[in-house]
Amino acid sequence: MRHARIALAAAALLQVAALAAAAAPEIGAPAPDFRLQTIDGKDFSLAEAAKSHKAVVVMFIATKCPYSNAYNDRMRDLAAAYGKQGVLFVGINSNKTEPLAEVVAHAREHGHVFPIMKDPDNKVADLYDARHTPEIYVVDPSGKLRYHGRIDENYEDASKVTSPDLKNALDDLLANRQIAKAETKAFGCSIKRV
Amino acid sequence: MFARGSGFARSRGAACALVLAIATPPSVSRIAGELDAAGLARRLAQEKGRVVLVNFWATWCEPCREEFPSLSRLQKAYGGRGLTVLGVSTDFESQRAGVEKFLAEQRPSFPNYRKASGGDDQSFIDAVDRSWGGELPFSVLYGRDGRKAKILSGKHSYGDFEREVSRLLS
Repeated sequence: MRHARIALAAAALLQVAALAAAAAPEIGAPAPDFRLQTIDGKDFSLAEAAKSHKAVVVMFIATKCPYSNAYNDRMRDLAAAYGKQGVLFVGINSNKTEPLAEVVAHAREHGHVFPIMKDPDNKVADLYDARHTPEIYVVDPSGKLRYHGRIDENYEDASKVTSPDLKNALDDLLANRQIAKAETKAFGCSIKRV
Repeated sequence: MFARGSGFARSRGAACALVLAIATPPSVSRIAGELDAAGLARRLAQEKGRVVLVNFWATWCEPCREEFPSLSRLQKAYGGRGLTVLGVSTDFESQRAGVEKFLAEQRPSFPNYRKASGGDDQSFIDAVDRSWGGELPFSVLYGRDGRKAKILSGKHSYGDFEREVSRLLS
């Protein structure tokens, strides 16, 4: 009996380790599904949200990261503009150093009315192998990952952006075109994991 | 620091100063210069035959600031055995004064550069390492042969760095 319990515990640990070591999802592959509670207490399921929207934009965000904060207004404006076209933006805070109350206050301060979730024990960040904030994933209605990367190339000055990568990806997706640049990179703050 | 072939280096006093400088790594409390990807490659080539640890950081990055003193300690402990630590700040141009202030406070034992402004960060990130997503801090260890030997993503302890550096120096 004791051995069976140990074996079960070991199997459970292995499962957790496998989850933590999950490889990053590739463009065109199914985006890992997840369920989290929003900061206003609603249940959120990526799979369900994807089915009822033209795209879901999953953004790993932070309250203290200057790179993420440089995009607060752009996140708000893009969410509003593309919301009218059936695209849902959601924010996920996986930082162990940023508690729920801080995430709520940050959302209120920056007019982020899109769903925002705390990611306890950074399980969703691990599922996506998300490394930093802001880091963006776009999921299509069939649940496939279509874009991964940055919002644009100029964190310092929104008025000088020359490569609005997320916007371009959404425009391509909404027009049923191949996304020309489906993977991009930018600097960001490491996600503070447990 | 010492211009090659200058009369200064030939003087006796300067020779003593040079010996002292090698024995005791100087603190480098100013930005050593700006580097783009090609500049970084050229800088690495200057360290041929040595193990090199390049650390990418930013003043606004808390784990970077926490990690920074370990790198100074590492340079002091292993510089004489063939380690060169190079820091590269990715701070915004507007934060240059903050970088200088941070370096003046830290007085690191290794030179720190600033990533050159302009260009697309993605090109720089990919040139450093394809596996790098842009997260900070981020460190790359190069062996004596100049080849990439280890990637250290995120904040690491002195012990982590020491283990990898010792392995490459042995």
